[in-house]
Amino acid sequence: MTKVTEIIKGAASLIIGMGVTIKAFFSPVVTVQYPRQTIDITPRFRGHTKLLGDEEMPERTKCVACGICAKNCPSRSIKKVEGEKKEGEKKKTATTYILDFTTCSQCGICVESCPFDALAFSADYNPAGYSREDFLYDLVKEYEKRKKV
Amino acid sequence: MVEIEELKRLFPRAEIAEIPYEERGYHLSIAVEKGDIPDVADTFAKKGCYLFDLFCVDYLDFLELVYFFNNHSAPYRIKVTTKLDPEQPTAPSISRIFTIAHWYEREIHEFFGVFFEGHPNLTYLFLHEGIDFYPLRKKQVKVSEEDKKRLMPKPPGEEEDTFFINLGPQHPSTHGVLRVILKMDGEYILWAEPVLGYLHRMHEKMAENRTYQQFLPNPGRMDYMGALNFNLAHVKAVEKLCGIEVPERAEYVRTITCELNRIGSHLLWLGAFLADLGGLTPFLYVFDDREQVLDILEAVTGSRLTYSYFRFGGLYNDVDGEFIEKTKRFIERLRGRFDMYNRLITGNVIFINRVKGVGIMDEALIRRYGSSGPVIRSTGLPYDIRKKEPYAAYRDIDFEIPTGVNGDNMDRYMIRLKEMEISLNIIEEAINRLPDGPYRAEKLPKKLKPPKGDLLSTVESPRGELGVYIVSDETEIPYRMRWRVPSYSNLMTFPELARGCLIADAIAILGSYDIVVPEIDR
Amino acid sequence: MTDVLKIAVEAIGQDTLRVILGLIGVLILVVINALMLTWAERKVAGHMQRRIAAKEVGPFGLIQPIADSLKLLGKELITPMKVDRVLYFLAPVICFIPVLVSFVVIPFGEGLQVRDINVGILVILAFSSLSVLSIFIAGWGSNNKYSLIGAARSVAQNIAYEVPLLLSLLIVVIMVGSLSLKDIVEAQKGMWFILYQPIAFLIYFIAGVAETNRTPFDLPEAESELVAGFHTEYSGMRFAIFFLAEYTNIMIISAVATTFFLGGYLGPYLPGIVWFLIKTYFLVFVILWFRWTFPRVRFDQLLNFSWKILIPVSFINLIVTGGILKL
Repeated sequence: MTKVTEIIKGAASLIIGMGVTIKAFFSPVVTVQYPRQTIDITPRFRGHTKLLGDEEMPERTKCVACGICAKNCPSRSIKKVEGEKKEGEKKKTATTYILDFTTCSQCGICVESCPFDALAFSADYNPAGYSREDFLYDLVKEYEKRKKV
Repeated sequence: MVEIEELKRLFPRAEIAEIPYEERGYHLSIAVEKGDIPDVADTFAKKGCYLFDLFCVDYLDFLELVYFFNNHSAPYRIKVTTKLDPEQPTAPSISRIFTIAHWYEREIHEFFGVFFEGHPNLTYLFLHEGIDFYPLRKKQVKVSEEDKKRLMPKPPGEEEDTFFINLGPQHPSTHGVLRVILKMDGEYILWAEPVLGYLHRMHEKMAENRTYQQFLPNPGRMDYMGALNFNLAHVKAVEKLCGIEVPERAEYVRTITCELNRIGSHLLWLGAFLADLGGLTPFLYVFDDREQVLDILEAVTGSRLTYSYFRFGGLYNDVDGEFIEKTKRFIERLRGRFDMYNRLITGNVIFINRVKGVGIMDEALIRRYGSSGPVIRSTGLPYDIRKKEPYAAYRDIDFEIPTGVNGDNMDRYMIRLKEMEISLNIIEEAINRLPDGPYRAEKLPKKLKPPKGDLLSTVESPRGELGVYIVSDETEIPYRMRWRVPSYSNLMTFPELARGCLIADAIAILGSYDIVVPEIDR
Repeated sequence: MTDVLKIAVEAIGQDTLRVILGLIGVLILVVINALMLTWAERKVAGHMQRRIAAKEVGPFGLIQPIADSLKLLGKELITPMKVDRVLYFLAPVICFIPVLVSFVVIPFGEGLQVRDINVGILVILAFSSLSVLSIFIAGWGSNNKYSLIGAARSVAQNIAYEVPLLLSLLIVVIMVGSLSLKDIVEAQKGMWFILYQPIAFLIYFIAGVAETNRTPFDLPEAESELVAGFHTEYSGMRFAIFFLAEYTNIMIISAVATTFFLGGYLGPYLPGIVWFLIKTYFLVFVILWFRWTFPRVRFDQLLNFSWKILIPVSFINLIVTGGILKL
């Protein structure tokens, strides 16, 4: 007799389980249809780094090409930071800032270590390219492009 | 219980010293001759200790083998060291006393070239024949021809009526690239052996050539499911080493985010376990829930999987009111979902028949392997670092440790489900108590140069007892950083549990460990 | 034109022509059914998991199966080095032929039956047992350990579940006194047999799910254990044929259940074929529903369930039914 009740109980448990899935079958979907729908990127999202503009002189970035970020980077992803001293200015201005995004792990150590707060994370969440070279970003050029827009 | 007087009487030649636990993370240090190692191990085995970790440190003049013993009732961590000659390092094997040492010794052998007398199988564990030096030695030492021969794996012998199956490295249910060699008799498993190293990245070596700060992104990449817990283990160890005070708010936020991370990890395990058993739908349901965890963590940390959110002395950035709101909403949501999971999975008669009485562990087995986490709590041992050696805000929060009775797959499943509920309680409590204040210590040294010495720091990761052992030589770079990962000692019980099982049960057992292969391979 | 047709019909014989046309019709039905079922499976899975599933190709993703089959057609046919070539090639063929034959005797509607053979159900059972042979050949011929385990499981499973399947159908045959499917449907004019024989229906349905290797009894291809079981080494169109056969088998099991227990094409207002398809596809939906709800049973549990529960119960059921009819 216990065997029979066991079987009935087992069958009942299966039907309860089927109830869960059939309820889900008639419930609305929870997924986002990605290329057609997108969700907002949170403001703190850590994409690749970007250079911030100088508040006083928007034509240049805050970066003075000191190279502290490059020294602190765990993966040596900041390949080249160069700058030049313009006439009448105390500090250097960055002319090239090359970030190798293929090895960057977005840890944020460069952003934290920058003494001039010149670095921030961008919200660029879906970079794509055909070769490794596509991910050698020149952040100074990228800043200029951003400024124009 | 281990008593110093007794140890002094038993090992008169040993140097025994008590260590301030608060500073160094262990209680007792014993330096012995290498010949005494088996006796020492035997003594501790009889006292009910388990081998927490076994590794080697190269001090150039000598190699130091470090054995860590601990017990499950009241934490009393004992460090046993012995010095080896760097030219011809040999040591007696203790793999007969503690089975897990079999694996640790293989690891030390290929990384340092230490030959363990009496070890049955000193072949490659993580490395392969392409590497002709011992990678963790401070000076480059070539692998001798004799040792190379020893390291080459021997092909297992064929027998009548049996055959071998390679479960992995590419198999739907090995959760990453783990390979298990199975010797089968029809559907029954006669013998099993895990083969590691497909995801080996040598994080321990990486730690030796970058600063403490630069190592921050690495721990999260070892265990990507419990990245915050690994992150915390590293940060906590370095803070202790340098004597950095952490503000209370940061401690609370660490607790909350770590628990969220634990829930995320357990949820994914739940889905993967059911997928191993052939039920694919729960996988998608847990992703629905886990997505909420990831959204919350993304909003604070800016990242969805490998967070590197904790910094020495605090956090990367502060949490806001929105985080608290979202977390509270999530707690409500997940509490409401457990009922659905119970109806869909826990009560299901097919599921019960598949997991009940399968993969039974007992305490003796656990001691031989030093397993930890939900895997051992299933046998009824209430062993949890959060409770036994509290850190962060776990000191102030009262919570219960779920334990099982039978130590089978069903208990492991129930415990993880219960742990999620308890994590929700912890989060709720921590949010209620969350103090105001700075989220980061104000006075931080520009360059971290910890004082000379060693230190052990442990954390309860979603998979069990995680330990970081750091040796500092007063430079910015750690001299040696050892990661004792929980999945390693959990997985190694697999050959014993799988013996005599059907292949379907073996898959279920493998799933019930919740292994993360990158963590094992490091 | 009509003259030509008439001559042709006379030359071939009306009966033969009916069979030929019927077979062509069945072939079309089988392909369309399998294509639609792959789509249905994905949609059912998707919505049960609260996602949308295929939706890009055609409205609601309806053209997706055609795109998939074109892709499979275009794939290179990989033959692994160490397979047994004859068996490896033969397995998909053997897999597909019997399912075609089974459709010949199923009455889709009143008069909509290719051939009413007076041993109709025997034909179906005889031919559907052949599919296990193809699975075994596939597993053996692949020369792969996973495939072989899958094949061995399949044989044990099919033997175990053929018995209760047969016994529960036998009950209906005793009640009607005929093996012809048409007679069985006609006998249900008053009342469907599911109301007289709910237990027989349940046993038949469970055994049928096991016969078609569907979850929770999908052991021969158990993905998480055996990678893909017996068809691990098959790719391209050969793999597609196994797939086609699997979905057609689901359809046959449901169609036979409809004929035997749910009154076949009988039903008010709507034409017979519509009723038949509604009933059949409802059962197909239930089989899909099983798959997306349950975990897989273990091998020994599967056999125990059949030998210790299903077979004794269906025996008792058979004896009791026989006794009552005799009285």
